[in-house]
Amino acid sequence: MPSCRGIAIGHAPGDHPWYSVDRAQHAPLLWMTATSLMPARKNRPLPPTPAWYWRLPSLTLVLMLIAIIALVWMTRHFDDEKQHEVLINDVLWMEQDLRFRLDRNEEQLSQIGSELLTEATLSPRTEASLEQLLKPDSGLVQILWLDGADKVVAARPYTADDVLVGEARGAIPSNETNRLARAVGRPIYGPAYPVIGDNWRFNVHVPIFVGSRHVGTVVGVYSLQQLVVRELPWWFSERYRVSVHDPDGKEIAAKSKVAAEASHQQYTIPFDPPGYGLTLKVTAYKAPTRWVPVLLISAMVFLGGVIIWSLWQLRQHTLGRQAAEQALRGEMAFRRAMEGSLLTGLRARDTEGRITYVNPAFCRMVGYSEQELLGATPPMPYWDPDQLERTQAIHDNILAGNVPREGVEVRFRHKDGHFIDALIFEAPLIDASGEQTGWMGSFLDITAQTAAEALARQQEERLHATSRLITMGEMASTLAHELNQPLAAISSYGSGCLNRLDEGQVDTGELRDIIGKITRQARRAGDIIRRVHDFVRRSEPKRETVDLNAVISEAIGLIEPDVRKRGVELQTQLAEQPLPVNADPVMLEQVAVNLIRNGMDAMRDVASAQRIIRVETFADGDTLIFRVSDRGRGIDEDAARRIFDPFFTTKDEGMGMGLNICRSIAELHGGRLGFEPNPDGGTIFTFSLPLAS
Amino acid sequence: MTTDTTPLTHIVDDDEAIRDALSWLFRTRNVPCATWESAEAFLDAWQPHWRGCIVMDIRMGGMSGLDCSTALRQRGSTVPIIFITGHGDVPMAVSALKRGAFDFIEKPFDDNALVDIVQSALEEDARNQARRTARVDVAARLEQLTSREREVMGLILAGKFNKVIADELNISMRTVEVHRARVFEKMGVRSAVELAQQLTLAGLYNTATPSAE
Repeated sequence: MPSCRGIAIGHAPGDHPWYSVDRAQHAPLLWMTATSLMPARKNRPLPPTPAWYWRLPSLTLVLMLIAIIALVWMTRHFDDEKQHEVLINDVLWMEQDLRFRLDRNEEQLSQIGSELLTEATLSPRTEASLEQLLKPDSGLVQILWLDGADKVVAARPYTADDVLVGEARGAIPSNETNRLARAVGRPIYGPAYPVIGDNWRFNVHVPIFVGSRHVGTVVGVYSLQQLVVRELPWWFSERYRVSVHDPDGKEIAAKSKVAAEASHQQYTIPFDPPGYGLTLKVTAYKAPTRWVPVLLISAMVFLGGVIIWSLWQLRQHTLGRQAAEQALRGEMAFRRAMEGSLLTGLRARDTEGRITYVNPAFCRMVGYSEQELLGATPPMPYWDPDQLERTQAIHDNILAGNVPREGVEVRFRHKDGHFIDALIFEAPLIDASGEQTGWMGSFLDITAQTAAEALARQQEERLHATSRLITMGEMASTLAHELNQPLAAISSYGSGCLNRLDEGQVDTGELRDIIGKITRQARRAGDIIRRVHDFVRRSEPKRETVDLNAVISEAIGLIEPDVRKRGVELQTQLAEQPLPVNADPVMLEQVAVNLIRNGMDAMRDVASAQRIIRVETFADGDTLIFRVSDRGRGIDEDAARRIFDPFFTTKDEGMGMGLNICRSIAELHGGRLGFEPNPDGGTIFTFSLPLAS
Repeated sequence: MTTDTTPLTHIVDDDEAIRDALSWLFRTRNVPCATWESAEAFLDAWQPHWRGCIVMDIRMGGMSGLDCSTALRQRGSTVPIIFITGHGDVPMAVSALKRGAFDFIEKPFDDNALVDIVQSALEEDARNQARRTARVDVAARLEQLTSREREVMGLILAGKFNKVIADELNISMRTVEVHRARVFEKMGVRSAVELAQQLTLAGLYNTATPSAE
């Protein structure tokens, strides 16, 4: 049955394969309530419900109902037939019985007739016969005997005509009937007539012959009521209503006052004798209801109704389900499309850190397929091997419940080897019962942004360096031009003098004049040099008393992003007490940044685990020391000799001014900048400054 | 000491010391010179018949040396220009030389080498001047020839004998000889070869030898 599916869905969702699949597919978006996250599989479409699923039971039901109705109808019909048959039998019996009685009464009347008419006194036998005849059960209510001239001789019981009403009055007993009876020589029945008390009577005229001579007529008066009431046995009257109708169909006597249903089984026979169009109508009372079959049939009909109703309900329910499923599928397709189109990677883990779900964006981000990732436990294949410890720490921290709201930046390695910077936001996965089942993380690929930031920073640095270069270049160019002028003039004057001397025509006055001009130009050159000096002197440090620790901390803050980007570990050990120094803080900052950056540059080719920079400050008597140690490649002898020379550099993009400027700054502040090899490998730069008084 | 037609070395520099030093240097080598404190001042004073050469700083306050040379060339001057610069670079040199600079000298320079360059520039200018003068002279002489004499001259330059010329022009040999003598006399030459040389020097050889047909 089609409804089976719907019921199964409702009752045992977990058992139903497609149901659970869809549930899993849904998991990421229902994750707050999801109890389990199963691997998402392809969703098989639900096969459409065949039409006959619904039609067959309906058809069967209709056929069954038709059969039941036919059965009921046939049973009823059969019963009616049977009843009708019984009715006919009974009616025939009754007719027989009536006729028999009337015949017997005729017989008796004819027997006693001659005596009644001929004898003055009646023998006791005749009296007994009369008495017998007038018993209520014979139907006779009066016996009259008439002589040959149709005159009433006597009657028993004697009653006047006053019971007669209407036209019957005086006409009963009817001479006409008498004549007929005398003519035919056998009993003749007269027509029925009404009497007082709404009764009907009819007479039987029995001609009496003595020998062949007609001596008179005995008339028996029957009461229809009496005949019908008294003469029928109890069982008959119990079953049927017997009524007598006149030719017009008017009921003139009835066995029962209770009216039977007109439409019900009835049978009509002519009531002959007496005849004259009288009819005897027998109507069956309604048979007592046979409750068992009725109940059974009712039960069947009721149950059939219940089945139809429940089927209808089921159908409604299933339709509702199907609509809900359809909506759910639509919703799921929508969610899946949404999930598929997301650029944000999603990854769910259980409380032990095992991956239970990943979305396509996450797979794309790290380059591993869903199958490779599901069930993976830390360390994950996409973790950066150089930062395993840090990543593991972040991972453990999240599992411990310390979730930073602003997200965590982590570096991952794509399957093909390139690195991804991801920003992770984690949220607890709570199932329907409110229990935490794991963590859901969303991953934003910020590689491009990070790269762009780094590029922007680099470009800014380069621009800065370039602008410094340009400034210096321009200054140098202007200086060169300025100096060139007097020098060129001096040279030309000199050459002219030599020309004169070579020619031998020496005019002392002229030469003196020219040499004077040479002296002036030399002084001019000297003035230019002095101007340059003045310019340089103008950029003297702006000294103030500052805490060296604070300056170094500020510098570390400045360079921190670069440190992180290069995967360098920066160890700081600053003196606990403040280190007051009388210096230009900006210049000191510049020295610190320069030294740390040089250290990092020196460790470019060193394994990441060894990329450590150590920054220390301490006081040594009246001298404050700031030390930067790296574990880089160190400084060879040749480089050591020239390291402070301007424009000496070992870096491709270096300008070669950094250490030179640093040393100048150190000297400006009355300090020193030196370096020595680091016993752990690398170099230690030491910057010393006098303690502020 | 100098007249308008004397070749002069014009020193154009905004630095007074340089101007003075250079003029002293040129004087010691007997190169007459004039000094100008700016390109504008020099252009204002410049006359088309001025001879000599120009020694000019490229970078000056106001008009630059390169712009000044362009202006001079636009006015039809052919005077050689020697540029001096303290910031000499290749593109500037190429640009300057393309505009017809005679030379390009970077500071600091060898002073007497500069004088040598100036002298060769002066010689170049003198040659140019001589060619120009010759052209004017020859053109004037050509003007004096009659049309018949021009015809005869063209045929002479074509290297034809008197007899052939007489046949071509349908005149007698005697008449050709008279015309020939007249042409030589008017052009101031003694032989056909000399005539050809003179015309070539003046750059008029082609105009003087119209097609004989």
